[in-house]
Amino acid sequence: MKLAGLKSIENAHDDSVWAATWIPATDSRPSLLLTGSLDETVRLWQSDELVLQGTNTGHSLGVVSVCAHPSGAIAASASLDSFIRVFDVDSNSTIATLEAPPSEVWQMQFDPKGTTLAVAGGGSASVKLWDTSSWELIATLSIPRPEGAKPADKTSTKKFVLSVAWSPDGRRIACGSMDGTISVFDVARAKFLHHLEGHFMPVRSLVYSPIDSRVLFSASDDAHVHMYDAEGKSLIGAMSGHSSWVLSVDVSPEGAAIATGSSDRTVRLWDLSMRAAVQTMSNHTDHVWAVAFRPPGRTGERAGRLASVSEDRSISLYNYAG
Amino acid sequence: MGSAYIPVQNSEEEVRVYLDQLPRDASDILDILKAEQAPLDLWLVIAREYFKQGKLEQFRQILEEGSSPEIDEYYADVRYERIAILNALGAYYSYLGKIETKQREKEEHFIMATQYYNKASRIDMHEPSTWVGKGQLLLAKGEIEQAFNAFKIVLDGDHHNVPALLGQACVQFNRGRYSDSLELYKRALQVYPNCPGAVRLGIGLCHYKLGNLQKARQAFQRLDPENVEALVALGIVDLQTNEAPGIRNGMEKMQRAFEIYPYFSMALNHLANHFFFTGQHFLVEQLTETALAVTNHGPTKSHSYYNLARSYHSKGDYEKAGMYYMASVKESNKPHEFVLAYYGLGQVQLKLGDFRSSLSNFEKVLEIHPENCETLKALGHIYVQLGQTEKALELLRKATRIDPRDAQAFLELGELLISSDEGAALDAFKNARGLLKKGGEEVPIELLNNIGVLHFERGEFELAEQTFREALGDGMWLAFIDGKVHSYPVDASASTYAYKDVQLFHQLEEDGQLVELPWNKVTALFNLARLFEQLHKTETACILYRMILFKYPEYIDAYLRLAALAKARNNIQLSIELIGDALKLNDKYPNALSMLGSLELKNDDWVKAKETFLAAKDAADGKDSFSILSLGNWNYFAAGRSEKRNPKLEATHLEKAKELYTKVLVQHSSNLYAANGAGMILAEKGHFDVAKDILTQVQEAASGNVFLQMPDVWINLAHVYYAQGNFALAVKMYQNCLRKFYYNTDTQVLLYLARTHYEAEQWQECKKTLLRAIHLAPSNYVLRFDVGVAMQKFSTSTLQKDKRTVDEVRSTVAELKNAVRVFSQLSAASNLHFHGFDEKKIDTHVEYCKHLFGAAKVHLEAAEREELQARQKKELEQQLLKATEASRKAEEQMKYQLEKRKQEEELKQVMQQEQHFERVKEQWKSSIPASKRKDRSQIDEEEGHHERRRRKGGKRRRKDKSSKSHYEVEEGEDVGDQEELEDEEADTNHMHRYSIDQGGDEGNAQTHLAAAGLEDSDADDDMIAPSSASNRQKRVWSESDDDEPLGRQEKLSPDRENSAEFQDSDGEIRDQKMNRDAAADED
Repeated sequence: MKLAGLKSIENAHDDSVWAATWIPATDSRPSLLLTGSLDETVRLWQSDELVLQGTNTGHSLGVVSVCAHPSGAIAASASLDSFIRVFDVDSNSTIATLEAPPSEVWQMQFDPKGTTLAVAGGGSASVKLWDTSSWELIATLSIPRPEGAKPADKTSTKKFVLSVAWSPDGRRIACGSMDGTISVFDVARAKFLHHLEGHFMPVRSLVYSPIDSRVLFSASDDAHVHMYDAEGKSLIGAMSGHSSWVLSVDVSPEGAAIATGSSDRTVRLWDLSMRAAVQTMSNHTDHVWAVAFRPPGRTGERAGRLASVSEDRSISLYNYAG
Repeated sequence: MGSAYIPVQNSEEEVRVYLDQLPRDASDILDILKAEQAPLDLWLVIAREYFKQGKLEQFRQILEEGSSPEIDEYYADVRYERIAILNALGAYYSYLGKIETKQREKEEHFIMATQYYNKASRIDMHEPSTWVGKGQLLLAKGEIEQAFNAFKIVLDGDHHNVPALLGQACVQFNRGRYSDSLELYKRALQVYPNCPGAVRLGIGLCHYKLGNLQKARQAFQRLDPENVEALVALGIVDLQTNEAPGIRNGMEKMQRAFEIYPYFSMALNHLANHFFFTGQHFLVEQLTETALAVTNHGPTKSHSYYNLARSYHSKGDYEKAGMYYMASVKESNKPHEFVLAYYGLGQVQLKLGDFRSSLSNFEKVLEIHPENCETLKALGHIYVQLGQTEKALELLRKATRIDPRDAQAFLELGELLISSDEGAALDAFKNARGLLKKGGEEVPIELLNNIGVLHFERGEFELAEQTFREALGDGMWLAFIDGKVHSYPVDASASTYAYKDVQLFHQLEEDGQLVELPWNKVTALFNLARLFEQLHKTETACILYRMILFKYPEYIDAYLRLAALAKARNNIQLSIELIGDALKLNDKYPNALSMLGSLELKNDDWVKAKETFLAAKDAADGKDSFSILSLGNWNYFAAGRSEKRNPKLEATHLEKAKELYTKVLVQHSSNLYAANGAGMILAEKGHFDVAKDILTQVQEAASGNVFLQMPDVWINLAHVYYAQGNFALAVKMYQNCLRKFYYNTDTQVLLYLARTHYEAEQWQECKKTLLRAIHLAPSNYVLRFDVGVAMQKFSTSTLQKDKRTVDEVRSTVAELKNAVRVFSQLSAASNLHFHGFDEKKIDTHVEYCKHLFGAAKVHLEAAEREELQARQKKELEQQLLKATEASRKAEEQMKYQLEKRKQEEELKQVMQQEQHFERVKEQWKSSIPASKRKDRSQIDEEEGHHERRRRKGGKRRRKDKSSKSHYEVEEGEDVGDQEELEDEEADTNHMHRYSIDQGGDEGNAQTHLAAAGLEDSDADDDMIAPSSASNRQKRVWSESDDDEPLGRQEKLSPDRENSAEFQDSDGEIRDQKMNRDAAADED
């Protein structure tokens, strides 16, 4: 299991790059890398040469998250001003502009079938679900307040929701909060199930294993990556090695490895069978805000790819061999 | 056997006396001798015969009779025979005196002998045989020089006088002039080849002393095989070979000598020596006691005492051993004769802790053997105990130079160097390890541990890990270190307590795996865990600590480390519990108490925290700098947070804080944290230049250490630059601090940075910085507010420009739209009570945002109108828009009137505070000059002493450490216990340990102090709870400054920012009013 650097683009954006995701290939084109930056733009890149395909404007105050529909046709980007822009990937025409004040927008993810967009709602302590055909808000999954807490209790801030992840079977949503707790919801019933404890610092990134709907990986400011059995409510393992916040985690398509990006400027590759970091990439010079494995595409796109983006304005592409 | 013939008087007859049939009663013979007036030589013959037959009584009787006054009278003219008789008596008494062991009798015999010789001399002054006798007597009495003179008289007269030659040889031998002595013996042998064996013995001894062992052996071998002295001498020569067969031969000879004559002390000593080495201490004691009883010879006795002492020494009876060594030393008196006794005495005194005496004895040994490594090491060790590190170093260095293969010496040298020169210490330890390995010896775990720790401290983590692994060898821990064993899945809610869990080990044991951890490896394992912490392999470190606790639940530091790990992950509850476990083991452990204090601060438990810090201070007898510093910080922040900004209270707190910092500085002048605190207080009082000097020096000092993480001083310096208006430098300093210490993740420092950009009117940088901060700390709504302010300020400053392009105005309007969006979102969020903001404050925000929104519209309108006017287009729409605007404006105007009153009130309040602050500043200024100078000189002085003190600190450490008995120290006292090392290493590290362990405790401390809005430290503990609305409001305004994981920020600056914000807002309002008026005019 190995990463090998393929290509790096310095100054890929005019300012810090904060978000990245892969847009799946469609019939007419291969998959694309989608990045969002503090420079208020969203950019599309062709693999493997990282050729800039397009620059989308229209956001203000910095783009904090991007996500792509499983069909590869549409994508969404969100900025600090709490607007979500849903757009057609190929034409860049705006499909919808979403906001749910006073809720902010942080991590977003489409469900595996592409019918729902889940959005981490920041201070609203909830996950907002948007229907992808009508672009209506269809549900708000709220984290229950701790028992006995007063409505004005400032502890409620601690349930500030930063991250969200769909289980591969689409039945569960997990969201991570500033206080380190992870909440698991039953999507069908829009019901809170339980908390996963273990972190006590913000959980900025969550991802389910593609091969086991129970297994959830979490990245936290406590420099650890946890591996939970999200159904069984148990902590399978904790992985340490980063020397600062873990900002992003993604799992490889075959489910044998995870990659993490950290504010310690490194990208790490972890072998899940050993539960240990097997490789550390130090090509970035500042926070690595996002790491993303390319979903397996059609012929010609079998090779594993990992992309990372950083505060240092650069993006990097690696070959991943499982 | 012949006969003697006594001539019968006056006849030719003779009386025949068979010499072998001498009568038992000497009187019979005497009667005959007297009656026949026999010549005196016959008397002598008969007396000698009696002597030969061992009939000493008869011998004496005849000679005494033969020297009686009657005889003198009768034989007055027979001088030679009379002298001969007297000399014989003299020799007899000399011999008696020589062999007598009791001092009094001995002297009496010598007196008798002297009398006889004197009598002989009176008969004839020049008789050589008398002089020879006298010489022998003097020799026996030990009066060597006089004996020399006596023999010289004889030899001057007759070069070949054999007895005199022998006597003189003996004298020379005793004087240590062995070649002279040898010469004399040889002369005697030439003159009289049939000399008695004693001559050959003498020759042998001379050869021996001259180092000609072969010749010595030949000489001894020519002697009678039953000659005890020769046997002993041969034995000694054999022993000197130092080889097994030689020693066996030697011992056999000693044994034979002992069988022939059991009272020969030399043989006894050698036998004792032998039995000492074979471990038969009972025999040693018996033999030496006999030897002591039969000899009066100083050196021999000294040797016997030494044997005895050594025997007790080896049995561990140091008191007795010391006594006998002392006796041995007293007997020999001159160290060069028998240096071993001094060495032994030194050893015993060292063991008994009498360093001074021990030192003087070892120094005597060293005088004689200046290159003796053992002695050098022993002396080095003693100097260490006495705190004279320099001397100790010198000696140990010499020892390692003389014998570069002495692992022990390198070991000691390394120990000594740890505190002063880590690099050299490491080299010494490595040498020791190399030597031990080469010698096939096992390298002690302690040594490896020390090497590991030194590598660790030098930042050579890989080498450190290798070394620790080598120290640990094989064991269960390898499975954990190499990740072969994974923890079992645990319930996620129980995982909160994972750091306390030892279930894993129970489970492993149940699964049949033996969890073992030998005690002597615990320290190395602990240090390895510390190393893993440093390498961020937190999980491995944690499992190792837990393993230690599983086997040794009393290992308190492991609890503290686990607590620190939990704290680093923000698991405060668990951390407190772990500290609780540690305190259960020792409720006075200052480190644990200090840590508990900072945890309580994190939990907003101010009163408790203060109590805990006080307890920590008391537990450490006021010597724990950390607790004192914590109290200082506590006061410092209490000063900044008093509700009504009561200058008196503030001053009291600052004074108290200063006092506490100073206290630490007095104890440890190189404590960087205390110096930082002092700098902070000075800055607080407006002494920026002095503060800058101090902080810069602290910064320089802190830069040199890998482990010392002191971002605070960077921040404080930046604050000072900021306060002095040097924004560029302040920005640089903040940025460096962020990069160097926080991986750019600290939003508080980002906020400082933004504030500096703001003051420098770099609006875009300010905005970007704040946006980054929001991205890092999404739930900090104050940052959003600040972004709004920055954007708004940018807009107004653009609009205020005399000339501006349409694009500028457009971007301004866009920015204002953003600002409005930010503010309105904020107000909407505030309505939901998300962040616990005060309602009044929210109202202020809401109103202000609305107002701003209106103002923005005006700007937008103005800008667009300009554009329209320029293009002469869309007049109609514009007017329509204006009409709607007008009605909205009217509405807003009303609101604005309401708002304005409120704003004015606030402004007034702010102005009051500002004035007050100015007043206070004035007060300070007037009081500055004197105190400033004083502070400065004081500080300079302290800085000057910096280096020296530091070294002193190091020394003290050695002393502390070595006050425990030396050799045990290494194993028992956690030589390399990382924490201890750090702890003691230099005073500065006191804090630094915490900054490593506990991750910016100071900072957190302050955060919560600030958040709690505490009034007073000492006086008003109970005033904590209620905080008036106005205070809360103020707090909220500046809350951004509180929510920071690092403390020590200048409290002045945040306030300044707040007031700046107020001013800005007000300025803004004014601007807007002006603009509106302008717009109205245009209308």
